[in-house]
Order: sequence, then C-alpha cells, then structure tokens
Amino acid sequence: MSVTEYDVIIIGAGVAGLTAGALLASRGFQVALVTAGEPTACLSTGCIDVCSGNHNPLAGIKELPDAHPFHLVPEKTITESLDNFLKAMQEMGIPYTGTLAENRLVLSALGTFKTSCLVPSTMKAAPQDTRDSIHIISFAGLKDFYPGYIISRRPNTEFSVYDAGVASTMGIAAHFEEEDCLERFISWLKGQNVSADRIAFPAVLGLESADKIVKMLALRIGKPVFEIPTIPPSMPGRRLFNALKDYFRKKGGTIYWGWPVSGVEKSGKIIEGVTTASKGRPNSLNGKSFILATGSFVGGGLVAGRETITENIFHLPVHVPGARETWFENDYFSFSHGIGRAGIIVDSSLRPDGSPLENIFVCGGILADTEILKNGCGHGLAIATGQRAAESCMECLR
Amino acid sequence: MNFEHCIRCTICVENCPVLLVNPDFPGPKQAGPDAQRFRSDREKSFDEWVLLCSQCKRCVISCPCGVEPAEIILKAQQIYGQGHPRSAAHLLFANNYYLSALGSLLAPVANWFAASEIGKKILRSLGIATYIPFPKFRFRTLRNEKKSRTKGIKKVAFFYGCYTNFYRPDIGRKIIRLLSSFNIDVVLPRQWCCGLPALGNGNLTLARSFAQKNAASLSNYIDAGYDIVYSCTSCGQAILHDYPNILKIPQAKKIAENTYNVHEYIVKLMDEGYIKPQFQEVRRKLAYHIPCHLRALGIGYPAAKLMSLIPALECDILDDACCGLSGSYGFKKSNEHTAMQIGNRAVAHIKKTGAEAIVSDCGSCRMQLGGLSGLMTLDPAEVLSEALGITEIMDRK
Repeated sequence: MSVTEYDVIIIGAGVAGLTAGALLASRGFQVALVTAGEPTACLSTGCIDVCSGNHNPLAGIKELPDAHPFHLVPEKTITESLDNFLKAMQEMGIPYTGTLAENRLVLSALGTFKTSCLVPSTMKAAPQDTRDSIHIISFAGLKDFYPGYIISRRPNTEFSVYDAGVASTMGIAAHFEEEDCLERFISWLKGQNVSADRIAFPAVLGLESADKIVKMLALRIGKPVFEIPTIPPSMPGRRLFNALKDYFRKKGGTIYWGWPVSGVEKSGKIIEGVTTASKGRPNSLNGKSFILATGSFVGGGLVAGRETITENIFHLPVHVPGARETWFENDYFSFSHGIGRAGIIVDSSLRPDGSPLENIFVCGGILADTEILKNGCGHGLAIATGQRAAESCMECLR
Repeated sequence: MNFEHCIRCTICVENCPVLLVNPDFPGPKQAGPDAQRFRSDREKSFDEWVLLCSQCKRCVISCPCGVEPAEIILKAQQIYGQGHPRSAAHLLFANNYYLSALGSLLAPVANWFAASEIGKKILRSLGIATYIPFPKFRFRTLRNEKKSRTKGIKKVAFFYGCYTNFYRPDIGRKIIRLLSSFNIDVVLPRQWCCGLPALGNGNLTLARSFAQKNAASLSNYIDAGYDIVYSCTSCGQAILHDYPNILKIPQAKKIAENTYNVHEYIVKLMDEGYIKPQFQEVRRKLAYHIPCHLRALGIGYPAAKLMSLIPALECDILDDACCGLSGSYGFKKSNEHTAMQIGNRAVAHIKKTGAEAIVSDCGSCRMQLGGLSGLMTLDPAEVLSEALGITEIMDRK
C-alpha cells in the first residue's frame, strides 16, 4: 500500500499548474503539486489577459504567429477552460467579470489603460474611457501608489488621502478586513463629499473579502467603486493565487511546499518520480504522469546562462531564439525582446518536442514562442494550456 | 542561497504574519536581504526591529528564489543579542528547559503560582504575557517512563521534546503506544532541550551546548541501528535545519539523514510495505492547523495524508495562518499584542470551517489556538490512535 504514489505530479504552483491540478483532482485522480516557492502569479495584477492585441480576444488568438502555443489548444478547450476558471473563482468568493468575446480596460496606477479579458470584480467599475470624473483615495505613507501619475494623465481627476494608521499594502488590506476600521473609513469618506462620478482605490481593499468590501462601499457611498492594480505586493495577484490554491485542495489535490525538485527518477522513456534535496534525506514522490509548469525566467522554469538557456529539472530541449546578441532589443521597454520566444517547444498534446520522455506535458509560461508581453496572453494561456495538459495526462493514464 | 539572490519580489512580505499586524516590523524583505547588505560582522548592530521577527519561516518557504530571509534575520538577531543586554523574559525563555524541569519537580506549587493572580502579576512584571493560560507542568514526565523492549520490525529512538515531556506526557505516551501498535520498538534516548528556545532568545552558547549533548546521544542510537523520530515540529526544525546550518554540529548530517517526523515515518513504513494500518471510522469534523515549522521542514503534511485515510473523518487543512505564539515569542509582553492579533486571524479561519476541534502537531500552536478559541485541541497522534482503536479521544477542552 503506497500512500505517496500519485497518478499525476505537477511541478509549479502557478496559474497553469493549479488549473491542471484542479481539473485532474476533480476527475478523481490522485494529484500532488510540488513547488519551490510561491508563483509569480502573486506578483501579477490578477487580471486574466487572453490576447490583448485585438478587441475580441478569440479573434486575436487566430491572428497570432503560427508558432504560438495557443494554436495547439482547440478553441473549445480554450473557452471551456476560461469558463471553468470563472466558475471556480465564483465558488471561491473572488468573482471575475468579462467574456471571451470582448476585452475590457483596467485603469493602471500610471493613469494609462491596461487591456485584459477577465478582470476581478473589484475592477469591474473602472472607466472604459476618459469621460467620467474620478476621485482617488490614497493612503498616508503608502509608498507604492502615487495618485499624481494618474492625475497628470487624466482630466477630471482629484484625490484625497486617508490615514489608516498603517502604511504597507498588506497592513492596509488587513485593516479593511476589520469591521470597525471599515466603518471608521466609511464615515470619513462620507465627510469628503465626493462629487466625482467614480471612486478609485489602490488595490488594498481587503485580503480575501475584497469583492464584498467593494460592493459594500459602492452601496453605502452610492457611487461606483473600483480598485487600481498596484506594484507588488499586489493584492489581486495574491487573492488569485490563494483562490486557485484553495480550489485545487478543495478538489482533493495535495500540495508540497518548499520542494525544489533536484532529481528525476527514470526508467527508459518513462519518468517514475521526482526527488528534492530537503533538510536531512532526499524526499521522493512517485507518479505515473508529470506536468511541468515552472514558468519562464522569473518563475525559475528557464535559466539563462551566458550563451544558452536551459530547463534544469528534466533537461528538456529549450528553444533558444538565436545568438545572445539577438535576445534583447536596444529599447529596454520594447515588447519584442527575442528572449520572449525562448522556451519548450511541444506537440499538440503538449509533450515536449525532441525529448524521448513519454509521460510529461508542459504548460504555461515555460512554453516557447509565447511572447507574453507583446501578445498580452499570460494567465489566459496558462489556463488554456493547463487544461490541455490535464486532458493529455488523462489520455496518457487511460 | 545568498541574500544577493533576492529579486525583491515581495512574496515573502505577503506571507509575513507579523508585518500584517505590527507596523513597526518592516517585513522579511527589509529586515532580511535588504538590510543584510548594510550589516558588517565587525560592527555593532542597531536594528532592534530584527527582534520583532517570530521565526515562523513562512518567508523561507514562500521564496521562489531560494533566499532564506528568516535565516538572515536569525543571524542578525544573534549579532544584535551579543551587543545588547537581554530582557528578563529573554533570559528566562532561553533557559526554558531548566525552568520546566524545576516546574515539573514542583508541579503543584508551580501550577498554582502560574494560575494565581499574584503569580500572573509577577510574570507580567518580568515581561511575560499571560493572555492565554500557562501550560500546566506534569510531575510524571515522559523521561520517567519505563522502556518497553520487544523484537519489532524497526527500532526507533523517540525525541519527544520539552513540551511533551513537561506539559503533555500523555500525548508522548500515546505516540509510543501508536508506534508500538505497529510492532516498532520505541526507546527514549537521553535528551535535553533541542536548543531552539535558547537560539530564539539569543543564547547561542547554550543552544550549542544542548545541541552537542543531544547529537552525541542520538548519534549513538543511530550507530546501534535506530531511526530517530520526533513529534514536535520545532524540535524537528532545530535538529534537521539549525544543527547543521546555524550551530554547525559535527554529527548533524548523519543525524538529519536518519531523523523522521513521526507521521512521515509511519507513511514511509506504509510505502515500504512494512505496515498496513486498518483505520476505523472516526465521525468528527476537525480543522488541522499546520504548524509553520512543519511547513518549513519541506516534507509535506504526512499526518494530513494519514488522516485522509480515516473513513468518515472530515478534516480541513489550514496552512495560510500562523498561530502567532511561535514558542516563547508570544509569551513576551512586548509581543503580546502582535501574537494575539495573529492568533485571532488563525482562529477566524478555523471557526469558518465549523470544526469541533483543532488538530496540530505543535504544542505551542495548540496552546495558543485552544486558548484563543476555546475549542478542544488534539495532536494528530490522538486522532490516529482513535482510528486504530488504541485510545479514545477524551472530549476535553
């Protein structure tokens, strides 16, 4: 009787890995997810970009370059996976807004617009143009948000500053979870006699109850209220991660934290287990099928050396876009750095090309030719390929 | 990993329970890798706020880059401690082992003192918090237990730790019975405090002396073919992590290779086919509060795995919140407010599940959460023992 033998072992706790895990666990498979640390999803705006280049994201996907991994996922799977995502988030108490037929705009902390597809309900009331006047609430001592950036770009924008007694994003978010603090804030806000059409906040309105807090504020003040995503620590990113993680566990999945994979056990073309150099002895977990969802460079899935780029767990072949001179454009802020195309090339079942290994599937940011910055497709691609990888695993286990 | 590997992503900041409730603490990123570049071994330390870190190690586990902010802060705490006089509370808790031994010897008097108004007043004047009741000393400690020897399938030496020994020897006995029920020989090796309280309260010399004595004792057992099993996750953290990395104990590597969490050990024997426990139904709804130091051990949650095999048992796993007590941290009056606020957050998560009792491996987590919530607290071994029909859970607060 082995209790640590799993049907599927997923490496990486980001959006792709957790999406794949939740689907597999809900279908009754024994799933373990191992991760070195928490994912870069925590640092994100929490918005699900699917394809930001076109007003209609589904149409936009069709226009992406031929090599883009979105083309490996059938349209039905894409729509189904994002639908699953919306239902899951609703169930976990952080509902999302949006449809695959139309992108929407989110006001950024710089006063510009970010195009996204599915956005947290707390950003639903963000203006979709520059007509409405906005009143921004800023917080005394909060270093990570300056309303001045927005005011300099938008007409009809004003701000006032509230002193919550704490100055960090986390501290203010925790402050809003306390009922008496919230009441004190509401009476202060009523005293401001805001005349603008909408009220904007940096995304600090609660740790887990943001949806309820935003709705309650809007009701009590009588004006649309919305959050503006901030630089990390990013509460909407944290809420997304927490919800995905809790959803995965609710469906029966097991998570192993602090598990940097350091070795792989193989028998011919079949991977049998992964090990980690823990304190003491190496820990090992055995599985029948594996999903690699370790992200790209920031997530740690890809490692760039001087001349080459490697994937250091399974040593899968990595597509390196030309010689090092071509990795970066001269313009730092360019969306088209060559390195954005680096990653693992896969076949239509998301099995890595050019590798003899048979029971591994790859999804999310580690895939080649994603050009996430340029195409605006980060979390959307992670969700779609996560679901595709889970389906391939099920076929492989059958 | 070196502090220079920090990419300043703030994921550790999001995981810090102290920062969430105490604005005086700048968080693991600033107190750890950020400040480290300004620290020099030859200079006196002035960053008093490093003492606000409770060493829960949540930052370490969350870091995607392998940086260990809590480790950097722990070292800074030691340096700060060398250059500054320690408070009475720090001195007392560093010597927790000797005080507890004395307390057990004088159990009735010591318990009366700690629970009395005058006793509480004296404790508070020494800088010790009394918002949750002090644990009760037991006269019949575990170390007085008679050793049972059979010819079992495995031989283990049980490192039970101070909390079990002085305050809850009944749980220690249950763990021994649990292991014995699998036909495992259990011996109680000569042991001292693991050293963690001394380390956490800035007495490196005392910590090292405890560690050296334990290491010599455990090492002999390993040579004689024993595996070491611990039940307290903070003792485990000290033996597996601090002995080799902070205290640099020579036998630490050998000990770490042969030391297991008690539930990890049971899982391992099941995997290897040595034992096949037959769990009976347990109709209870429990909330399993994962101790931060179990999380930090990086071995998964073996007791959760075992409890998931118990028919009818409903057990929610809660690992997002620290209990706030962190051993002796919350027992210091200066940290009382922080510890209570962190604890209340954890209790809110537990109450949301509607559980009838809290399960946790860690004695100090149980003390804090039981005290703040009024719910019954259990060690996972008690739940397993009930499922195996060895002992029943007494419905006690």
